Amino acid sequence: MKLFRKKNDLYLSDKQPLTFWGVIGLALTYLILIGWSIVILWPLGQMVISSFNGNQDQYLILNGGAYDFSFKHFKFLFDETLYLSWVKNTIFIAIASALLTLLFVSFTGFAYSRYRFKGRKSSLMSIMLIQTIPAFAGITAYYTLHTLIANSVPAFSRQMMLILIYSAGGIAGNTFILKGYLDSISTELDDAARIDGCSSMKVYRLIIMPIARPMLAIIALWSFIGPFMDYLLPRVLLTNVESYTLAAGLYTLINNQYDFNQPAFAAGGLLTAVPIVIMFVVLQKQLVSGLSKGSVKG
Amino acid sequence: MAIYQEFLYDDIGNTYERKNLYFKEVSKLQESIKSATPEQKSAVKAELKELKRNKNKHSYNVELHSFKENEKIFLKELREKTKSMKASLKGKHSRRVTILKTKQYRFQLKENFYQPFKDLTYDNVLIFEEAKIKSEQLKHTIIQVEENEKALESAKKELHSFDEVYNAKKKDELKVLKAFEKEKFNKAKQALKEKKKSGLISEKALSNGIVELKKQRKENIVVQYYDIPKHAAKEKIKSYRYQLRKGTQRELSVIESNVADVRRKTPTEVSKTIPVNAFLTFWLPGLGQVLNGQWIKSILFFVMSAFAYFVAIPYALGYSNFQGKGIAGLISLAEGGKKLDRSLIFMIEGIIAIFLIIFTVVILVIAFKDVLSVEKKKIKGVRPKNWFETKTAVFEEGFPYLVSLPALVAIVFIVLVPIATAILLSFTNMDPNHQNKFEWIGLANYKLIALGEGIAGGPFWNILGWTLIWTIFATSLAIAIGFGLAILANNERIKAKTFFRAVYLLPWAVPAFITIMFFSIMFSRNGILTGYLNNIFNFDTPIAVKDNPFWSRVTLISLQGWLGSAYVFLLSTGVLQAIPADLYEAAQIDGATAWQKLRKITLPIVLFQTAPLLVGQYTFNFNNFSIIYLFNGGGPFNPSKYGNLAGSTDLLISYIFKLTTQYDYQAIGAAITIVISLGLMLFAFIGFKNSKAFKEEKL
Repeated sequence: MKLFRKKNDLYLSDKQPLTFWGVIGLALTYLILIGWSIVILWPLGQMVISSFNGNQDQYLILNGGAYDFSFKHFKFLFDETLYLSWVKNTIFIAIASALLTLLFVSFTGFAYSRYRFKGRKSSLMSIMLIQTIPAFAGITAYYTLHTLIANSVPAFSRQMMLILIYSAGGIAGNTFILKGYLDSISTELDDAARIDGCSSMKVYRLIIMPIARPMLAIIALWSFIGPFMDYLLPRVLLTNVESYTLAAGLYTLINNQYDFNQPAFAAGGLLTAVPIVIMFVVLQKQLVSGLSKGSVKG
Repeated sequence: MAIYQEFLYDDIGNTYERKNLYFKEVSKLQESIKSATPEQKSAVKAELKELKRNKNKHSYNVELHSFKENEKIFLKELREKTKSMKASLKGKHSRRVTILKTKQYRFQLKENFYQPFKDLTYDNVLIFEEAKIKSEQLKHTIIQVEENEKALESAKKELHSFDEVYNAKKKDELKVLKAFEKEKFNKAKQALKEKKKSGLISEKALSNGIVELKKQRKENIVVQYYDIPKHAAKEKIKSYRYQLRKGTQRELSVIESNVADVRRKTPTEVSKTIPVNAFLTFWLPGLGQVLNGQWIKSILFFVMSAFAYFVAIPYALGYSNFQGKGIAGLISLAEGGKKLDRSLIFMIEGIIAIFLIIFTVVILVIAFKDVLSVEKKKIKGVRPKNWFETKTAVFEEGFPYLVSLPALVAIVFIVLVPIATAILLSFTNMDPNHQNKFEWIGLANYKLIALGEGIAGGPFWNILGWTLIWTIFATSLAIAIGFGLAILANNERIKAKTFFRAVYLLPWAVPAFITIMFFSIMFSRNGILTGYLNNIFNFDTPIAVKDNPFWSRVTLISLQGWLGSAYVFLLSTGVLQAIPADLYEAAQIDGATAWQKLRKITLPIVLFQTAPLLVGQYTFNFNNFSIIYLFNGGGPFNPSKYGNLAGSTDLLISYIFKLTTQYDYQAIGAAITIVISLGLMLFAFIGFKNSKAFKEEKL
């Protein structure tokens, strides 16, 4: 028996044993980490709780009071507001701009990474600089531009203009990201394909597309998320509440006098946030790598 | 005086003797003039003059002339002969073979005709060589095509006359095999699953194994499937058809590339010595290509000409505009126009017209350069490329331009036109009193901003000050929180890391507009957080956060700290985890304290790697419109300091938004946009210039 006890007393960890101050430091660390978790979770929790609280009318009641679990606000959201069409609009815009961005960027990224052509460096530089101009430097023009295009193509809706703005605006940054990614892949594969007689288009289709797929997926994902997050452009461009995206639509719930309803906003926010949060948590590694690869490393 | 060089050259600089003896003599005399003594010079010159006067009587030219007559007759005969050949072949062979045979016949006749005249001109050499290659190689192609056709016929026959009994028997066999294979597959799959259960193989190995089994099963079935005569015949027909279509195409393109080889080695000889066509035809892209004998290329350029002359130039002149007057409208800005005419539309259409003109100029320059280079080469002796060669060049060398074209067009119309509009707008007086019609007023807007005068320009400096304070404090706070948490959470003794990381991700993952709006509700006059704030600080008179400039600002900065820290946390955690542990071990052995390790190892590595992204965070916050606008609409208002248009938490970007969309001071808004864009560009440019990637020219 004595032998066994001795074994239990053995210090087996490869970390040094904690000193007194070490214990206090560790406790402090836990305190801070847990504290910050509360700071994050409390407001979000309030949103979740209040969206299920049937004991509220137009205003949120967060300071305690009677709690009545109900789906009232969700019902209101679906029956009384245009929430579903906002969701539809947002998804349509998001998918269309993601696809269009991919179409543009997969070609430009390939061209800038694999070819040395006249005007390459200067155009890269100017892309880089134009990118820093805030997206809505052109808000005055977007409206008129849409009128001009719609004049010759009547089917051209405001939403399509929005899609064009999102995807054209994303060309510059995403070209950089894809170019950086392709640069990190050796050209041996392309060279081999060329020696075997592939044309440029075939190299693009058979070699570049498959190896760039992870990065293209990330680019598509970011372009897809963009319209969910953006409030400004839909607000400026879309005039009809029915054609709003989620961000612009939900804002009417806390800003318009007629359909003012804070709890419904909380419910709508919750419904919108949940799928996006799940996506972020699952794909966080990919999303972050996409971000850091895009920057020109110092 | 036209100067002829003595030799001809091809693309890679090989020299060739001239075949045109008249030119040869002229060039020899011209050479000798250069080296002649003054006395001899006049004699040689006279000789040259004599030669030129008797150009048509020169023996070579006489011969050439008679050959041309002969050639004319021959070509006429050739046409008739091929026609009759075609007629005689018709009905006996399939369409494909008929065409190929006629072609072969024609080239054979050509070969025979041109052979004796090979020494006369290089053109004849080329025609002869081409005819020779084609007539010879087409023979092979025809044989192959005929063989394939025969095989196809027999396969078709097979399809109609297979042994029904045998077919049925084979079909039954297939059924039996299918059942057997299914059973075998299921058994093997079961066995694999057993293995997995007992822990012998991994999940991955299991799924791979199943895929392999499936493939095997399919293969076995397919083999049996093609044993059935009917299916076999069908498959054969398919394959021969493919052979006929694609195989023949490939053969023909091989022949074309053989001819191209000869072309490249055969120079051309022209009588002109100055590239005049390029200068005469620069105004109509496509015409010069026709004169150079490049037909298909010319069609492409004519299409571009059509764009220039039927779209771009009319538009720039004001035709088919929506309202404007093309470029002229840019100057007049609808001054004196109809009541409904809007200056803004005139301006934008003018800008579009300018971009269209730029496109046109680019097209003209490309076409001109193309004609000029081809013509110059032609004079040197290089033969212009035919379509087969041009095609490859365009698709290989022009590839990056070709595929970037859609992106370029999108960027020009969606990004550049609006930016150009903003730039031009900043030089006008578009304000509430001049919405429909406005005029150029030069730099007045910039002056207003610089001096901080006027209703709209007044608060500029105050807002800029707050914007800078906001940018620095909000971003630094977010970075400090995010980085601090990342270091704390990276401690190896901390348990439940996954939980903390998932929670800290949330502010980034939840769409910002939702959290901002929700915080905005909680900080409203009776909001829960306003209540807490009053309880904590116990103010004499309870404050309302959104009505108090100071507390609004503090709240906004803390809120951005809350929102932005998640992103920084994520980035620095990634970097922290990638730092090799031996660095710390080495430091430990050398007796470093925790603080020293942090300062000398962790901080430099993390900061160095995330620097560009952190700088990006500063620019992001400089332009962080949504948090300001959605939280309190830029409020609270403070007319004594900020005038009637801006609130005390307005950033430049949200101020611009208000000026443009709410108060109709578009011109001043544009001017401010230009100022901050220039500032940000300079910022980005400096950062970019200093980056390693740029210095190493790796771009």
